[in-house]
Amino acid sequence: MSLGREWRVVMALGRRATSVQFRRAQLLMPTFVLPLMLLAVIASGTSAAQGLRGFPDVASYLTFVVPGTIVQGTILAGLTAGIAMASDIEFGFFDRLLAAPVHRTSLVLGRLFGTLTLALLQSSLFLLVALVFGAHYPGGVPGALATVALAGLTAVGTGGISAAIALRTGSLSLLQSLFPFMFVLLFTAPAFFPRELLAPVLEDVSVFNPLTYVVEGVRGLLAGDAELGDPAAGFAAAAGLAVATTALATLAMRERLRRT
Amino acid sequence: MEVRGLVRQFKGGIRAVDGLDLEVREGEIYGFLGPNGAGKTTVVRILTTLLRPTAGQASVAGHDVVRDGDAVRRAIGVALQEAAIDPLMTGRELLRMQGALHGLRAAEAKRRAAELLDRVGLTEAGDRRVGGYSGGMRRRLDLALALVHRPQVLFLDEPTTGLDPTSRVALWREVRALHAEGTTVFLTTQYLEEAEQLAGRVGIIARGSLVAEGTPESLKARVGQPTVHVEVADPEGAERAREALADLGEVEPPNPAAPARVAVRTAAGKAAIAPIIRALDEHEVAVESVEVETPTLDDVFMAVTGSHLEGAAAQETTA
Repeated sequence: MSLGREWRVVMALGRRATSVQFRRAQLLMPTFVLPLMLLAVIASGTSAAQGLRGFPDVASYLTFVVPGTIVQGTILAGLTAGIAMASDIEFGFFDRLLAAPVHRTSLVLGRLFGTLTLALLQSSLFLLVALVFGAHYPGGVPGALATVALAGLTAVGTGGISAAIALRTGSLSLLQSLFPFMFVLLFTAPAFFPRELLAPVLEDVSVFNPLTYVVEGVRGLLAGDAELGDPAAGFAAAAGLAVATTALATLAMRERLRRT
Repeated sequence: MEVRGLVRQFKGGIRAVDGLDLEVREGEIYGFLGPNGAGKTTVVRILTTLLRPTAGQASVAGHDVVRDGDAVRRAIGVALQEAAIDPLMTGRELLRMQGALHGLRAAEAKRRAAELLDRVGLTEAGDRRVGGYSGGMRRRLDLALALVHRPQVLFLDEPTTGLDPTSRVALWREVRALHAEGTTVFLTTQYLEEAEQLAGRVGIIARGSLVAEGTPESLKARVGQPTVHVEVADPEGAERAREALADLGEVEPPNPAAPARVAVRTAAGKAAIAPIIRALDEHEVAVESVEVETPTLDDVFMAVTGSHLEGAAAQETTA
């Protein structure tokens, strides 16, 4: 196996994943529209939460919830990776990939490369839209760029989960039905309220949710204030999630091939 | 390509392939003929490393399909039954991606894509999404995709199923050209004509086993000799014609439903027409028409399986 050759395979599959997902509007639109809709609803409907005791001192509630929108985007981007993979399996395209002399892990990485690209574009757009509507980023351009990078890494992690499910089950309908369950990850993280203001049960659960650290990390990056969230913890959680779920997807691939 | 005692059993104990033995020589077109459900696609999936055998051994281009799958995948090109092509991609994008999957660098993949689009007559459609292609165009693209890395062995799984006659003939032309270039072709088909037109040797599969194998001519010779049917101008001359032709083959008894027809079984087939005409002329029998009926591969299929190829699919699935 040559690394250069496998890299070309990953890039080719990544290019395909990226271009095709922009041609599948019905799948792509929700990943852009839903987070922005939720941002609009939350920012306008629950902004009074900023006055609660224990709420951190932030420029605006909109600024505080932008990290939640970005993490929601990474969840949806990750889910599209699984849906696209299950679709390839169901419609036989995956056989074409399996019949080629490529390392099986490259097939997973190629798909996740597409997810990474999607998340980078998505998070950039979300930051811009929120900026237009009055969000402030004291962390400046470096904070915004690091946020986009953290979002990309997180999407690789969530994409790994859905890719593993797709490889294990090969079921497109199952992946599509996972949409609501992915939101559990979002609402058990301090996406829209600080951890201290979550219900005690949610607060306890949030400790075990890697997205908690990502949300807080993004918050810290955008605010340029590590008091609001530790970026290093965010990157560590996202990297851990990405490595663990990519390994899980690779194992699911091996299991799938063993079963055939 | 060598297959020995190949078995593939699915859940529920269904044996799609049941002790298959076969050998495909380098550079030949091997036609794998059988009805739907006979096990053709399962065999192709095993030989292309997409499915593991339950038992037995198979090697392609000298590499074991289980132990050395990667080497097999480097040597083969595959066009599967349902042309598995992403409808949202263009033909050119697919070819370039396929090139990358086979280790071509970007510039080389781009050049090869253009070359193959031209070869299969899709240059103009190359930048259109495949979702808008006709069935024939998809098959041609599928063939081009299988050729990107100039494979030693090409697997074509029912390449013309569902195609119109023009597209079918165009695809046959391409397969012949590949054969002329030295590519070994393993072709599965349920069409007798396709097997006869393309294959140097044919293997007939029924219920997961090879039931007959040979060149189309040798297989047909097994089930009987060609029959020359002579229509004489005057039914009263039929008996005289039978006497005249007795030395040229096995003359069939008179058929009261067709008194002017005389049938002679002869291994010479078409070559017997001239001697037959001469013999009839010598005996002053006027001839209206002459036809040669040769056994078909369907006759072979009938002889070895007890059913016709077209009717066999239903029996295979209800068995």
